[in-house]
Amino acid sequence: MIDYDYKRPDSLEEVFRLLQEYGPRAGLIAGGTDVMVKIRNTKKAPEVLISLRGLTDLAYIRKNGHYHIGGLTTHRMLEQSELLQNELPALYEGASRIGSVQVRNVATLAGNICNAAPSADTAGPLLALDARVTLQGPDGERRVPITEFFTGAYRTVRKQTEVLTEINIPAHMEQFGSAYWKQSRRKAMNLPIVGIAVSLRLDNDTISDSRIALTVAAPTPIRAYKAEEFLAGKPMEDAVLAEAGRIAASPECCTLRDSLRGEAWYRARIIEVYVPRMARLAAERIKKTH
Amino acid sequence: MPDYLFVGKSIPRTIEADKVTGKAVYINDLRRPGMLYGKILYSTHAHARIKRIDASKARRLQGVRAVLTGRDIPDVRVGFLKDQTVLKKDVVRQFRDEVAAVAAITPEIAEEALSLIEVEYEPLPAVFDPIEAMKEGAPLVHETDARGRPVKSNILPLPWKFSVGDMEQARKEAAFVTKDHVSTTWVNQCCMGTSGCVAEFDQSNNLTLYSPTNVIFGHIGRISEYFSRIGLAGKKIRVVNPVVGGSFGTKLDTDIYEFIAIQLALNTRKPVKILFDREEEFRALPPRQPAVFTIEQGCDREGRLVFRHCEAVLDNGAYTSWGATTPSVMIMPMSSLYRVPNVYFKATCVYTNNIYAQAMRGYGNPQATFAVETSMDSLAEAAGIDPAEFRLINRNQPGDETPMNLKITSCGLEECIRAVKERLQWDEKKKARQKTRGLGMASLIHVAGGARVTKSDGHGIMVKLDEFGHVDVIESGTDQGQGSPTVISQIVAEALGVRPEDVFITFGDTALALWDAGTHASRHTFMAGNAALIACAKAKRQILDMAVDIIPKIVKLNFKRMKRKDPGFAEPDLDYGLIADPEDLDIRDRMIFPKKEPDHPYFRVPISDILRNGLHVGIGESRVVAAEAFYDPPTEMLNREMKGNLSMTYAFGTTGVEVEVDEETGDVRILNLVAAHDVGKAMNPTLLLGQIYGAGYTGVGYGLTEEIKVRNGRVMNPSFRDYQMLTAMDVVPIEPVIVEPDDKDGPYGAKGVGEPGLVPTAPAIANAVYDAIGVRIRDLPITPEKILTALKQKKGGMNV
Repeated sequence: MIDYDYKRPDSLEEVFRLLQEYGPRAGLIAGGTDVMVKIRNTKKAPEVLISLRGLTDLAYIRKNGHYHIGGLTTHRMLEQSELLQNELPALYEGASRIGSVQVRNVATLAGNICNAAPSADTAGPLLALDARVTLQGPDGERRVPITEFFTGAYRTVRKQTEVLTEINIPAHMEQFGSAYWKQSRRKAMNLPIVGIAVSLRLDNDTISDSRIALTVAAPTPIRAYKAEEFLAGKPMEDAVLAEAGRIAASPECCTLRDSLRGEAWYRARIIEVYVPRMARLAAERIKKTH
Repeated sequence: MPDYLFVGKSIPRTIEADKVTGKAVYINDLRRPGMLYGKILYSTHAHARIKRIDASKARRLQGVRAVLTGRDIPDVRVGFLKDQTVLKKDVVRQFRDEVAAVAAITPEIAEEALSLIEVEYEPLPAVFDPIEAMKEGAPLVHETDARGRPVKSNILPLPWKFSVGDMEQARKEAAFVTKDHVSTTWVNQCCMGTSGCVAEFDQSNNLTLYSPTNVIFGHIGRISEYFSRIGLAGKKIRVVNPVVGGSFGTKLDTDIYEFIAIQLALNTRKPVKILFDREEEFRALPPRQPAVFTIEQGCDREGRLVFRHCEAVLDNGAYTSWGATTPSVMIMPMSSLYRVPNVYFKATCVYTNNIYAQAMRGYGNPQATFAVETSMDSLAEAAGIDPAEFRLINRNQPGDETPMNLKITSCGLEECIRAVKERLQWDEKKKARQKTRGLGMASLIHVAGGARVTKSDGHGIMVKLDEFGHVDVIESGTDQGQGSPTVISQIVAEALGVRPEDVFITFGDTALALWDAGTHASRHTFMAGNAALIACAKAKRQILDMAVDIIPKIVKLNFKRMKRKDPGFAEPDLDYGLIADPEDLDIRDRMIFPKKEPDHPYFRVPISDILRNGLHVGIGESRVVAAEAFYDPPTEMLNREMKGNLSMTYAFGTTGVEVEVDEETGDVRILNLVAAHDVGKAMNPTLLLGQIYGAGYTGVGYGLTEEIKVRNGRVMNPSFRDYQMLTAMDVVPIEPVIVEPDDKDGPYGAKGVGEPGLVPTAPAIANAVYDAIGVRIRDLPITPEKILTALKQKKGGMNV
C-alpha cells in the first residue's frame, strides 16, 4: 500500500530542518504533477513528502537588471506574464505548452527542472537563455549555470538537502530573440517528441551569437554547441540555417534514440527542420522588440 | 410540415444536471453493504504454460477474503466461440490473460495481495502477426477447439464470405482496374468511465449484477448459460445499469472481469466490486480490431463500378469476442456502399497471441470503409474522373436493392456529396490548386433502423401515467450517455400530449423492462421511438376513453358550483357531441380538447384532471393508464449467403476534408471538415450535432493519431499520455450539414445517427493527403513518419 506522511512547512528554514531530520527518507513536492504520477506509477513513495507550497514568497517573476523567477512560480504564471511573452518568448512558449491549464496551474518551474526529464519543456528555453539556478541549503546558497545542472536522465547536481529557490536569466538576453518548438502529436497533455529552443542576436544580418538547445535529444536537455559555433558570424540565410539544423541533428550534437514516442530518424528530421524555423522566428522577434 | 411542439427542438439533455453536479451514481460511486473489492492478476507472458501458482501468501494477508485461481473455480468455457475460461489454469495466450483474482476489504489490500501471488511460467513460442499465424507450422494459439478436438490452424472456424455476380466476366468488362493494400490498427474506445461491476448474490443464490452493459438481456443469456454449468441453473439473474460513462462498443459482450466478480461474490457471499483503472482499460479491455485488406475495383469508361473484390485478414487476438463478427458488418459497405453489381468479399479471422478485440463504434464499418474509399479514390484517378464526380456517378439512390438485398428507402447520399462539394468549394479549389493543400472525401452506409443480428430485433417499452400527469417510461434500452433519453422523452411528450419534463424514464433494469436486443447498432432512437409511438397511442386512447366519460361530468359539476354561488347563472347550451367520441379528442401540451374546437371554453381540460377523476372513483370504476409495446420491425436476418434486409432503413453520409501537409515534417493540419449526414429527421438538433462532432473527432483520431501500440503482444502505451486521443485543444473546425429526407419508417422520420460520423472521416483525410502531396497512406493512422517515408520513396522514384 502506498503510504506517506505529508509536511507543509511555512519557511525555508523549516524545510531544511525537516530535510535534515528525515534525510533520504524525505522527498520534496511542489506542484506534484511529476511526484504524484511517479508515486502512482511506481507504487513507491518517500516516507515523508515535504511540500514547498507554503513558501508562497518563492512565486514571482521580476526584472531587476536580470530576470528573476522564483522556484515556485507556476507555469500558469509564466504563461500569463507579459514580461516573458515580450522579452523571453522561448520560455513563455515552453511553459505554456506543458500539460493543460489544470496542470500548469499547479506545476512549478523548479519542479519541471528538478525532475530533470529529458523532455522537460522549460529546460530547452532555459538552456537557450543562459539561465542560472540558485540552490539553497542549510549552509547557504550556490548558483549553478543550467548547462551544468543536469547530470543525467532525472538526475541533477541538486543535493538532497537543497531547494531550488530561483532561476535567473541574465540581462544580456534582452538583446536576443528566442523561440521554442515542441513537436508533439496533439496540442495539450503531451510530452514533446523532441523540443527545439533557439535564441540569437544579430549584428545587422549576421548572427553574432546564438544558443540552440534540444530536449529528448540526449539523456539530458542539451545545447547543440557545434551548431552554435557554426552559426557564429554567419549571415542569416537559408543555407546557413539549414546546415546548422543538420549539425544540430547529427551525432556531433545529440544522441537520438528510437522510443515508443518517436524514432531517431524522425527526431533528427524535426530538429533539422525546426532549428532553422525557430532561428527565423527568434530573429523576427528581435526586430519586433528593438 | 407537422407542427411539432418538441420533436425537432433542441431540448436540453434531461439527466445531465446530475452528472455535472456529481450526483449521478456511476459504478465508481456504487457501494453495497459489506461490499468487497476485487482485483485481477494478469499474465506476464504472451504465451506460456503456467507451471505453478502459489497464492498462499496472498491468502494470509489481513483483509483478504478470497483468492481464486483457475484451480479454484469450475473449468467452464465462455466467450463467443467458447475459447477461454474465466481464470486461466494451464496456459496463458496473451498478456491480459486473467490468472488469479482477489477479493479484499479495500482495493489497496486487494492490490497488495496480487503482488504476493507467485506464478511460474514456462514461455511458449508465440505468434503476433496474423499473416504469419496463418502459415503452416506457426505456433498454435489454441491446440484444441471448444470441444477439446485438436486443431491444425490458427484460422477461426468463421468463414465470412460474400459473393454476388460474375467476377470473371466483370473483370473483362472493366475499363479501369485498381488494386490497393490497406490496413488499420487497434484503437481503444476511450470511454470516460472505466469498466466495472458489482456482483451480489442473495441467500438463495439469485444474482443482481450492477453492470454498465448496453445489452442487458444478452448479459442474462450469457450468465445463465455460465450458471447452468456451475450448478446454479435456474437462478434468477437481474442486470441493473448504474449511470454509464460511455460504451462505444465496450459494453456489448459480457467481459471476463464480470464473470470474475460473480465468482468472487459467490465465494465470499458478499457483494464484490471490480473497477478498472485506466491502465487496465487500455490493457485488458478488447479494443477495435486491426485488419488488412486487399481490395480491387473496376469501372467502365463512364466511371460506373463493375466489380469490387476484397479479401481481408483480421487479427483476432487470442480469444473471440464480438470482434470476430465484425466482418458481418463489413459486408454492408463492401456490397452496398455505392452501386456495384459484382462483389466478392472474404474475411479471415486469425488467432494470434495479441490482445483480442471486440466492438467499437461502427463495428467493422470504419475499417472496411477505409478500404473501399481508398480504392474509390485510386480508381477515380485511374479513370481520370474527379473523385467527387466518381462518387456521384456511383451513388446509392432511393429504391435501390443492393447486392446484399438491403432495401434502400430514404437516401440522401447525393445531397450529402453535393453539400460537401459546395461547402469545401471543391471545384474552385481543385482548379486553383495551392501546393501542399488538398481535398478529399469519403461516404458511408450504415444500419439506421435496427439491425437484426439475433432472431428478434425487438424492443419493449412500458408507459404509465400517474394522477398528476407524470409519465413513467420503463425502457428496455440503456443510457450510456448518447442522448437518446432526451430524444425518447421528446417523442413520448409529443405522442402523449405532455411535456418532456413530465416524462421520467427508467433504463437498464432487466427486472422491470420488457425485452430488448441491445442498445447497439445506432438503433435506440429508431427502435425505442417506434415502440414509444405504439405504447403512447394505446395510453392516449385510454386517456381519451376516460375523457369522454369524465369531461361532461367535470363541466356539469362546475355548472352546479357556479349556480350555488350565483343562483342567476344560466347554464350555456353546449354541444356535447364535440366530445362524445375519443376520436374527436386530442391531447397537446398537457391539455385535452375537442379537435373541432381546440379552444373550447368548457371542454378544454388538463390531462391531470382526467387522470385524477378516472382513478379516484370507486369500486369497479377506478382506472389507471398504462400501456406497453414490443416493436420488432419486419426485417430479415442475414441468410447463409450473408444476404438480407437486416435494417428498416440505412444512414448515408459524406465527409469532406481540406488538409495542409507540411512536407518537411509530415504534419497534417485539417483546415476544414464538412460532415454531411442523412439523418432522416433531426429529432434534437443540438444532440445530433453532439453525435456528429464526437464521432467526427474520434474519426480524426482514428485517421491521424490514435493507435494502441502492441509490441510482441504487449500494450506499450496504456495511458492517455501516450495513447494519442485528441484533446479539446485539438478540435478541428467541423461543419455539419444535416440532410433530412424524412424516413417513412422512422419515428417522426428519424434514422439512427450514433455511429455514422466516425466511419468516413479517416478515409476522407487519407484522400485529402493524397490530393495535397501525391502520396497515398494506406495504413492507419496517417502519421508524419509514414508521410515522410512515402515522400522519400516517391522522390526516389519508387512506387507508393
